[in-house]
Amino acid sequence: MKSILVKTIVITAFLSSFGWAQKELPPEGGKPRDFSLPQKQQFTLENGVAVTLVPFGTIPKVTVSVVVRTGNVNEEAHQVWLADVVGDMMKEGTTSRSATQVAQEAAQMGGDVSINVTPDQSTISGDVLSEFGPKFIALIGDVVRNPLFPESELERIKVGRVRDLNVNLAQPGSLAQEAFMRALYPDHPYGRVFPKQADLERFTIDDVKGFYVKNFGAQRTAVFVAGVFDAKVIEKAIRRAFEGWEKGPAVLVNVPKARTGQSFHLVERPGAPQSTIYFGLPVIDKSDNDYVKLVVTNSLLGGSFASRITSNIREKKGYTYSPYSMVSNRYRSAFWAEVADVGTEVTGPALKEIIAEINQLQSEPPSADELKGIQNYLAGTFVLQNSTRQGIIGQLNDLRLHGLPDVYLSNYVKNVHAVTPEDVQKTTQKYIRDEDMALVIVGDKAKVEEQIKDFVKVNPEGK
Amino acid sequence: MRNHLAGNRRSVIAFLALLCLVGVVGAEGFRVPVEYHKLDNGLKVILSPDHTSPTVVVAVYYNIGFRIEPKDRTGFAHLFEHMMFQGSKNLGKMEFIKLVQRNGGVLNGSTRFDFTNYFEVVPAHKLETALWAEADRMSGLSITQENLTNQQGVVINEVRGSVLNQPYGGFPWLDMPQYANTNWYNAHNFYGDLADIEAATLEDVTQFFKTYYAPNNAALAIVGDFDPKEAMAMVKKYFAAIPAAPQPSKPDLSEPRQEKQKRVIKEDTLANRPALAIAYHVPERKTPEFYAMGLLDQILLQGDDSKLREHLVQKKGYTAGVSGGINLLGNMHNYNGPMLWMASLLHDKSVSADDIVQAWDEVIDDVIAKPVDRATLDRALVKLRSSFYDEVSGFFGFGRADLLASFALFDDDPARINTLEDEFRKVTPELLQKTAAEFLRAENRTILIIEPKQGS
Repeated sequence: MKSILVKTIVITAFLSSFGWAQKELPPEGGKPRDFSLPQKQQFTLENGVAVTLVPFGTIPKVTVSVVVRTGNVNEEAHQVWLADVVGDMMKEGTTSRSATQVAQEAAQMGGDVSINVTPDQSTISGDVLSEFGPKFIALIGDVVRNPLFPESELERIKVGRVRDLNVNLAQPGSLAQEAFMRALYPDHPYGRVFPKQADLERFTIDDVKGFYVKNFGAQRTAVFVAGVFDAKVIEKAIRRAFEGWEKGPAVLVNVPKARTGQSFHLVERPGAPQSTIYFGLPVIDKSDNDYVKLVVTNSLLGGSFASRITSNIREKKGYTYSPYSMVSNRYRSAFWAEVADVGTEVTGPALKEIIAEINQLQSEPPSADELKGIQNYLAGTFVLQNSTRQGIIGQLNDLRLHGLPDVYLSNYVKNVHAVTPEDVQKTTQKYIRDEDMALVIVGDKAKVEEQIKDFVKVNPEGK
Repeated sequence: MRNHLAGNRRSVIAFLALLCLVGVVGAEGFRVPVEYHKLDNGLKVILSPDHTSPTVVVAVYYNIGFRIEPKDRTGFAHLFEHMMFQGSKNLGKMEFIKLVQRNGGVLNGSTRFDFTNYFEVVPAHKLETALWAEADRMSGLSITQENLTNQQGVVINEVRGSVLNQPYGGFPWLDMPQYANTNWYNAHNFYGDLADIEAATLEDVTQFFKTYYAPNNAALAIVGDFDPKEAMAMVKKYFAAIPAAPQPSKPDLSEPRQEKQKRVIKEDTLANRPALAIAYHVPERKTPEFYAMGLLDQILLQGDDSKLREHLVQKKGYTAGVSGGINLLGNMHNYNGPMLWMASLLHDKSVSADDIVQAWDEVIDDVIAKPVDRATLDRALVKLRSSFYDEVSGFFGFGRADLLASFALFDDDPARINTLEDEFRKVTPELLQKTAAEFLRAENRTILIIEPKQGS
């Protein structure tokens, strides 16, 4: 008996060290290739328009992006979405071109003029075939500088926005975001995600024109061009399109005082099969020296697929499909949040796991190996972010918005790699404090309330 | 169904938007490099170098989509896609994902009508690592009951989040094929009944893998910064030994000619505004009428200058936007069977569905009644060319890999990518009119109306 047992052990040891139980390791790959940020040319027109040209790629296309430093942040409390309506109305023709002409001219160049309004910025942009770059700049310059704002179209635009508002109010994700922003920014435009329908219906053409005059102008504007183009010809086109524009208003800085501290907001959605969760708090913004540490920490904690929270509540527990954590990106103001749609019946358990992962990272640094994986991931995605025309413009626009120097980008990968396991732990302790978070749940109140009573110690603000 | 691993919904949306672009190869001489090989085991390999940035896309396409999944296992093709991330011979659960991430890459997978794809975008020097990993999971899976149960939970939450807990959930992309088609393969619930998803067993997983995930039922596309010779050597090293498997014959996917207009009303208890979608069966791929349909899509529906937008949005003010295209889960090239051209919009209760259909018909009747003018056709061609350029460079080269793999799988001819423009250019105003007359017939369409019943 004894000898058989010994033999078995020996054979097992033999097999496991030589083969079938041992897994093959992935090949390392070759030597890293050089990556440098694309070269750019920058100049400022006399009236203040800041121009950035980035030759990039070989595909014969060019992206033109005119970014004006105005958006929802410039709205009064009764004007929520006025900035969006102004954006819509800018597509309704110029003093010399009808809306149809603008659309057809852009289409003839292979693109559209698209207008996107965010809280901090309004962007008028498009992608066209390279040969039409200069013509497109002229068209887009006309749209930005000479909007007609025809009163005949305002009613239709407003009706569309009212519909949009109502559709948003039926979506759990929008409702959760609204409640979360209201909790963090109670007295600031950032906290006003949706207008009151009656306010929206009251907008007049004078409101639209007034907002435009007050907020659009050369010194609030940057022009970015990326892709395949002749720099000299493009520069000439930009000068012709923008040089005569008035300086306009200076940038209005309105940094919110965000609310920190535990609060709880339950938005009733009877019968909902999932609870939509926002859980987070105000954090440092991009201009802070600790910001890169926070980016690394976020990616490791919940901001990437292999992150701890996602591994836990999706891959281990199966509570959810697409959870993520994020650091927002507004001027001198940011928040961290974990966002997830979890099964109604596991709302409490999911929250428990999220908090446990935060607490775990507060109490113990990650292994050097786990951190290395995240650092490599961020370095790799940085290359990707700078490998498309729109991505390059996005990065440079971001630098400009936050007033950061070029070294922010050129040193970014180095700074990511410099973060230590202890930094991650300290960053979690310092900035991702679960006891100071706002918790929003959009879900079936009757089924959820009992599950979450342990997490809600103060100020339950039912709705 | 859509993309499964993205941590951020917005990136998924952006990605889908890219895939919706349809295109033509440029007249100005831009050609996509295409090198096509076949391994002895039948694996199709397409190489397309592009040295714009030091990254590379590895995309593996299996010739199995949700259309032909087992009849008692609706949603299984998609559930199975999730299993491909749950462990293979040398990579345990989460290890595939971690391997790609820690090498600086991103990855995803998706299930569509006629294929399931898996892809990574990695730094160029990690090409071999990515190929090894894809070969590893093509060689065999190692799935436990625990992992299957876990992903059944994930998929059920995916369906809840995308369909059941959303107003207009599944409208129109998931709903419309179920109403417009008559053949089960084209008309079942592709996301799957929750009961079917829950009923899946490990045996189902093993059988599905054995049947469909063989090299002779797959295509591998590599796009980006690499040397074709070196890449081919790596492909052979890791994929050549994987054995081929006999393939079952493909079921009959055909749809009969539709002779009568269908009109369907679906109540939506989460919505507060009505919505409407209209879908027509499109001409068979690669026929002259098919290319004409691609141009009709541009003329009628794509971009701010499109006729339907001009009429329904600008002139009538019925909606703020009308959107759609051929194959809402991809583009007009990456499928292989019957397909719909579909458009949808949201509107107010003050406007009836009949009003909208009438305004719609004013546009459609016009392209049936007379040939479109040359300027409109030329504009459509420019739009196609411009969007094609973005397609072949889009998502770091993934858009190109998608077309190349689709053309290899479905046509055994990835070089088709460079012939598309000629085919579109052959289309005359007369052919457009003829195509519109046959395929935009009212009898060839299905109208789907969403009736809002919020709170009921």
